[in-house]
Amino acid sequence: MTGGHRRILVVEDDPETAGQVVESLTTGGYQVDLATTGNEALSRGIATDYAVITIDRMLPDIDGIAVMRQLRDDGIAAPVLIISALGEVDDRVRGLRAGGDDYLVKPFSFVELLARVEALGRRSDTVVKETILRVGDLAIDLVSRTASRRGKDISLLPREFQLLEYLVRNEGRIVSRAMLLQHVWDLHFDPSTNIIDVYVGRVRRKVDGQQAYPLIHTVRGIGYSLRAPD
Amino acid sequence: MLLTKTLASTTFRQALIAIGVFGVIASAILSYVYLSTSSYVRSRSDRAIMTEYSSLQDAYQRSGRGGLIALIQQRIADKRFSDYVYIFADSSSAALGGNLKAWPSTVTTTRGWTEFRASEPLPNATNRALLRAMLGTFPSGDRLLVGMDISDLDGFTDRIKTAVISCVALIFVVAGVASILVTRRTVGRIESINATSRAIMLSGLDKRIPLRGSNDEWDRVAENLNLMLDRIETLMGEVKQVSDNVAHDLRTPLTRMRGRLEKAYHGQRIGEDDQLLIGDTIADLDAVLRIFSSITRIAQIETQARKDAFRTVNLVEIASEVVELYDAAAEQDGTRLTVVGDREVLVTGDRDLIFDAIANLVDNAIKHGRAGGQVVVANEIVEGRPVVSIADDGPGIPADEYEHVFKRFYRLEHSRYTPGNGLGLSLVAAVARLHGARIEMLDNSPGLKVKFWFLASTS
Repeated sequence: MTGGHRRILVVEDDPETAGQVVESLTTGGYQVDLATTGNEALSRGIATDYAVITIDRMLPDIDGIAVMRQLRDDGIAAPVLIISALGEVDDRVRGLRAGGDDYLVKPFSFVELLARVEALGRRSDTVVKETILRVGDLAIDLVSRTASRRGKDISLLPREFQLLEYLVRNEGRIVSRAMLLQHVWDLHFDPSTNIIDVYVGRVRRKVDGQQAYPLIHTVRGIGYSLRAPD
Repeated sequence: MLLTKTLASTTFRQALIAIGVFGVIASAILSYVYLSTSSYVRSRSDRAIMTEYSSLQDAYQRSGRGGLIALIQQRIADKRFSDYVYIFADSSSAALGGNLKAWPSTVTTTRGWTEFRASEPLPNATNRALLRAMLGTFPSGDRLLVGMDISDLDGFTDRIKTAVISCVALIFVVAGVASILVTRRTVGRIESINATSRAIMLSGLDKRIPLRGSNDEWDRVAENLNLMLDRIETLMGEVKQVSDNVAHDLRTPLTRMRGRLEKAYHGQRIGEDDQLLIGDTIADLDAVLRIFSSITRIAQIETQARKDAFRTVNLVEIASEVVELYDAAAEQDGTRLTVVGDREVLVTGDRDLIFDAIANLVDNAIKHGRAGGQVVVANEIVEGRPVVSIADDGPGIPADEYEHVFKRFYRLEHSRYTPGNGLGLSLVAAVARLHGARIEMLDNSPGLKVKFWFLASTS
């Protein structure tokens, strides 16, 4: 990886959506290249080393998944985020997550897009091998599946621990509700209720209740972020 | 099974009526044949007896007792008259002549026709013959009887009678068997049409009624029904296309609007009020977009394409995960949410969709149930079928609303202002249809119990 860590290729044919995507990713600190057709995506993807490539499923010339396949065949390992309308989500798209790539269903919020790209880009980094993760005074033991703050144990259900672990692993980044559903519950749809908020609310009471400072922060309209105070 | 259906079918009943009418007519015709034949045969012998009686009567009137006795003697000796029996007696029934030994005791009349059985075998017959005779009493009191052995005639008419009866019986039996066979064939064809209809209701419009290649009226009915199904499938596809397009076309501008608003929301130049306003607008837009997503999702489930992704999954595991997810929400309402029943209930299906369906039902149970009440999710196998039921102890819903709640955008009057868009149960219904499952709603007194009956696992 030579200097490609903050460089992203966006493949999108709708000019306005493309403009919005490019702008929000630029705001998020990325250097963004835009391709409007599948062929352009292929030539750019091979020429430059990108941290993440986002591809719209419906392109005027080649199917987004075919573009991704071609890039893989050409030895391009950059993680891919397929952007797909709900009606286009089939098994092939759902299978992306298994291969380390991801998909996002239209309509999406740009904060969600940014969160996904961040999560995908991080995959290129070295994998943390530690068994105890720490954020501020919170420590979670990945082996014994226990959490504590200032040495005091927090009693969590297995699923609650999984949720906390996912937030800790994404420390400082925004994690959307859909991402939580996908990674903690392995669900690929939005149950369209505030169910996640209620669930996180309970975890938050256990983790942040009667503590010096809160760790879990709500990001209005999108999801949550876990971080220690500066 | 087929025989039961055959016997219960309208065609068979109509065939029975036809057999009845036809049989009665056939019986009437054959009875007429029998009656006219036997009366013709009888009238022939009656004429012969009558003629013979007249000639003997003439002899008596011409030459008295002696003449008659002589004539009778002559007749008995004559081979041409061997069929006749005679007896001539005085007023005290003492025989004066003839080939019968005594005046038959069973004959009590004094004149006219009679039939009786001979008291002893006749010279030219082995058993006691049946005799038909004409008798009369002369003014002097002497009596004359002239008869004929009609045993043969009787045998002849009996044989006709037997033939007629067997003929009628045969007609009934053959017609009965034939109508069963024909009806069975009809019912068989109708059954194959029915089976296809059921398969279509269960799993989608891609099934067709098999043709037999016999090019008969049934094949033509099947052909036309198949053409109709083709047409319906095309129309359904077009309708789906149109609604997909509508959803897509509306979604694109909404997505852009949402993007612009989001940009404005995160921008720094605006005041607190503006931000709140934009935030609320984004939330509203999200609600609209979510409705479109739900509609597309339901349509997608209904196209049946997801059946390819069916696996064997444990219902209990899925239900437990749902309960785990909704545990916090239930806790917030003070509702006790529990899973009961078997530890493993296997079904063939799509895990995500089953999860979604159970989640929707649990969500409803918590939302519309009693605050501080309880919601029970039960997994079990009933009559070989996997069943998951979701029961609350809230106010429930009226029985006459049961069938409506699965309609798209349908909402009960009192729940119009609770969150939700009226698509949750439509999705549950779509998932049920995809899985060939049946949804049963029951009064949990108090509360509502929704039972989700899966198909018996084939593996």
